[in-house]
Amino acid sequence: MNSTSATEKFAGLQGKAEAVWKVSWVKRGRGIIGMVFFYLVILSLAFVFVYPLLFMISKSLMRPEDVADATIQWIPKRLNLENYLIAGKAINFWPGLLNSIIISFGSAILQVISCSIVGYGFARYRFPGQALFLGMVVFTFLVPPQTIVVPLFTFFADLGWINTHLPFVFPALLGHGLKGSLFVLIFIQFYRTLPNVLEEAARIDGAGAFRTYWMIMFPLAKPAMLVVFLFSVVWHWNDLFEPSMYLLVPEYFNLAQNMAFFNGNANLEIQQASTSVSTGTLGMAPTLQNQVMAGVMLTILPVLVLYLFTQRYFVESVERTGIAGE
Amino acid sequence: MGKKLGLSMRGRHIFEGYSFISIWIVGFLLFMVIPLGQSFYYSLNNLEVTEKGLIPTYTGLTHYRAAFTTDIHFVPLLQSTLTTMLSQVPLILIFAMFSALLLNRQFRGRVLFRGIFFLPVIIASGAILRELLEQGAAQLPIFNQYDLFGKLSAFIPEDILEPLLEYADSLTLVMWDSGVQILIFIAGLQTISPSLYEAAKCDGATKWESFWKITFPMIMPMLFVNTLYSIVNSFTKTDNRIMDHIMNIVFRSNNYAYGSAMGWIYFIVISVVLAIVFFVFRKSLSATEGRG
Repeated sequence: MNSTSATEKFAGLQGKAEAVWKVSWVKRGRGIIGMVFFYLVILSLAFVFVYPLLFMISKSLMRPEDVADATIQWIPKRLNLENYLIAGKAINFWPGLLNSIIISFGSAILQVISCSIVGYGFARYRFPGQALFLGMVVFTFLVPPQTIVVPLFTFFADLGWINTHLPFVFPALLGHGLKGSLFVLIFIQFYRTLPNVLEEAARIDGAGAFRTYWMIMFPLAKPAMLVVFLFSVVWHWNDLFEPSMYLLVPEYFNLAQNMAFFNGNANLEIQQASTSVSTGTLGMAPTLQNQVMAGVMLTILPVLVLYLFTQRYFVESVERTGIAGE
Repeated sequence: MGKKLGLSMRGRHIFEGYSFISIWIVGFLLFMVIPLGQSFYYSLNNLEVTEKGLIPTYTGLTHYRAAFTTDIHFVPLLQSTLTTMLSQVPLILIFAMFSALLLNRQFRGRVLFRGIFFLPVIIASGAILRELLEQGAAQLPIFNQYDLFGKLSAFIPEDILEPLLEYADSLTLVMWDSGVQILIFIAGLQTISPSLYEAAKCDGATKWESFWKITFPMIMPMLFVNTLYSIVNSFTKTDNRIMDHIMNIVFRSNNYAYGSAMGWIYFIVISVVLAIVFFVFRKSLSATEGRG
């Protein structure tokens, strides 16, 4: 009796163990399926993001025949680096690069400094009218630049600043400029997350408000600085609206402007060619797509390289800045 | 500094606060208040461009009326801008939240994928994106290449199919426009304490439930920020056609006054849309307020 019940018990236990074993396998199986599914989704999404870049690289290395050839999708028959030489000349690469660097890096550095000062003031001080001014910061972000473009243009023209870099740099110095209010908001958000203790210690040791800020708080804001700096550089780099307002002579054009002109010319050429050449010769229409793509690659290459180097810190910084707001 | 001025502690605090934001206030006056006032003044006048400068003659609201009555482009462009905004912003938000949830998990290659997902922020702003659009690089080949249209038109009437496929085409652009929003959502997700999820798990909540009961309410503020950002972004994008129209009026036809009036109408429209968004979010935001 006893022994049978014991064996029964044992069998029951074994069954249970088996069941547990099975369940864990089912779970693990589900986990694997989930993981595969997860990677499938994220890979296909990532593909969409990389696709235009790959497309550009591939097209920019093709010869005209390859572009027209329907059998060639991605890999050109022979690498053709000539496109880059032609495009580099057409977009006036080196002078344009210099202008782009002055505009975007100059404005970005100034915006980092000025916006952090302003953000600190908002985050750490209580003064009458603060809510109002904070509302004004948000308001500044919402006004479309096109609404005030005419008065701004005449303002800078009166100062004789057209065809100089000052219309970009000067607003940046005062915490404005391209998306300046957004950067102020990022810094406000970041300084709010820092503890008060450090400043109090500095103040007790006799440092003034600005000294405390400059020596203690500003260096702590590195994550926010990196995010603002990168955003600012990239947005200034790609911006076409403001440069086309204030830089009217080709020698002051930045890369984005040169690229826009190059593309316009290329489109014009294609149009002329397609109207003059008889339409019967299919696939023979001259294509400048490869050169245009090479031009685009050259234009974004500097920021792309900058991003590759800062990407790791950038992603980490975003998490620490509290960029998300409230 | 405050001591010399003979200020109290409180007075000194206020003084210091103002001096930190003073540079911004100067900029605000120079680059926002004065230009806004001027453009409003322009919009109420007829401007004559002479050698001495602009000579205004007062005309009242004529330009505003003209935008709605005589200008054949303005109203349709305004409508199309609004409809693209309305159709794209929800998509951007959904997609950005979905991507942020994916990227917020722990998995191998996370850093690499995050780097890729922020790539659009780097290259897809401004003129470059427009280039891509024109060259068709921003459209995935599946829709054209495999003759999806021809195959699907056998099942679905063309009238429905065509806008549907157009929508699918613009989906790529939606994804490319959501880089900053993904970033904001991820930053928001990071602020949610894991102990909340653990507690929910102990109480037997499924993942689906804990998403709607924890994640969603907790990132409501970021949803609000993102909605604002997406709307403003879609209104002020450079490939926005109404912007082109205004710029053409201003710089090709040199009609500063009329351009300013249209700028103001556009600005008012944006403000109305944003006011509606504020109103919608007001309730849900006050519910999450004060969570620390």
